[in-house]
Amino acid sequence: MIPEPALRIVQVGFATTVQDQGRAGLAHLGVPAAGAVDRRTHDLMNRLVGNSPDAATIETLGGLIVEALRPVVVARNTDGSRHTLATGDRFRIDAPAGSVWAYLSVRGGVDVEPVLGSRSTDTLGHIGPDPLRTDDILSAGVDPGSELAADHAPDQRRADGTVRIWDGPHHDWFIGGRQTLIERPWRITNELSRVGVRLETGEFARTTRSEPQMPSIGLVEGAIQITPVGEPIVMLANHPTTGGYPVIAVVDPDDLSDLVQTRPGETVSFRRA
Amino acid sequence: MRRHAYGPKAWLIDDVHTPPAWADALRAMDVPGVDEIVPAEATVVVRCTHECHEAIGRVLDMVVPADATTRHEASLTIDVVYDGPDIADLADAAQVSIDDVVRLHATGTYEVAFCGFSPGFGYLRGVDRRLHVPRRDTPRISVPAGSVGIAAGYTCVYPSASPGGWYLIGHTAAPMWDVDRDPPALLRPGRVVGFRSVSA
Repeated sequence: MIPEPALRIVQVGFATTVQDQGRAGLAHLGVPAAGAVDRRTHDLMNRLVGNSPDAATIETLGGLIVEALRPVVVARNTDGSRHTLATGDRFRIDAPAGSVWAYLSVRGGVDVEPVLGSRSTDTLGHIGPDPLRTDDILSAGVDPGSELAADHAPDQRRADGTVRIWDGPHHDWFIGGRQTLIERPWRITNELSRVGVRLETGEFARTTRSEPQMPSIGLVEGAIQITPVGEPIVMLANHPTTGGYPVIAVVDPDDLSDLVQTRPGETVSFRRA
Repeated sequence: MRRHAYGPKAWLIDDVHTPPAWADALRAMDVPGVDEIVPAEATVVVRCTHECHEAIGRVLDMVVPADATTRHEASLTIDVVYDGPDIADLADAAQVSIDDVVRLHATGTYEVAFCGFSPGFGYLRGVDRRLHVPRRDTPRISVPAGSVGIAAGYTCVYPSASPGGWYLIGHTAAPMWDVDRDPPALLRPGRVVGFRSVSA
């Protein structure tokens, strides 16, 4: 059965791609995991339309407008709500005020051909569907037949605004270790992508354990690397599989969404996990 | 070998003598809760579930890699046309002749030390000492898929078009990367590889 077209991209917006939970188990071949950078919101938007969390959604930095090609049930974090669109309805998706990334879910999931077990667009390794373009037509998968519960989900960001961090494998390369990150708030720079986000430059004094030339190591999502000039770079969903900077700390997976949704110019505060 | 916590869902094992063999040994144990095993130059990262983190840490202390001499693996020979745009520059940098570059590269035996940089990109160790040169001063914006490179003591085949700073000495038609194949990458950590000089 050929799926019926569900949505047309009227205006593609910025950094708009299809995302899901990513490609697992191939990092040893150099294949990035990819997947949604804000998994919590991706999962939540799926739940609002009755999808399982492995359904694909559309991720964007905003400015996305879609048109319904048939009646379709969707949800967006712009207002955290589910909507039923009639044929011809246009629907705009932007990040909520104070956030960075926006998600659009559609009942049945965005139906593109999976590649290596995922529908995610890998923006680093160029695997999976191409980034979306204006006038692309998207289908939705089979209706999951699930019951629709709440039609609105409140903002899930942590009330106290802090992000928990664990020790990274090289925490003892730095005087004070992860405490250096906990001592003060850190500004998010505008260098952000699906690969990672850079924090403002800080002072990271090295201990004698620190090695001048580090051989590259496997990376994990949430790893905070410290570059030679003291720039903390937080690895996000589409991080490369290996990297050559020491990892001082790792963001708790449950708090990573709070960090990735913090806007450039604003600060994030860390606390001990 | 030392084991370092790498957040709540991973471990870093460092000072690993043969990361691919260590990774294969762990893979063969088929430990529930292990999601990814990523060997690199001298380390292996093991990603796992949060619930199993402590228990898997104890399992990692018991991994015994197979002895290098007892590891049997089908060898792979990659046909190369040695007509790369940097072969003369490499010969200059290494102070050998172009024929020497071809001979030394094509007669070596290599092992995939680890993969990274791009999907299916293997860092092959075993390059003759005479061909150890640093990366080029200026990387290329785009290197064609199938290009064979040398730099920093490794040789490689670019599996897809990407930027690159290695000396390009030739090219191959070998299918390095195919998402419709299982596994998609021709090279994987530990695979033993040779090259053969062929004419265009």
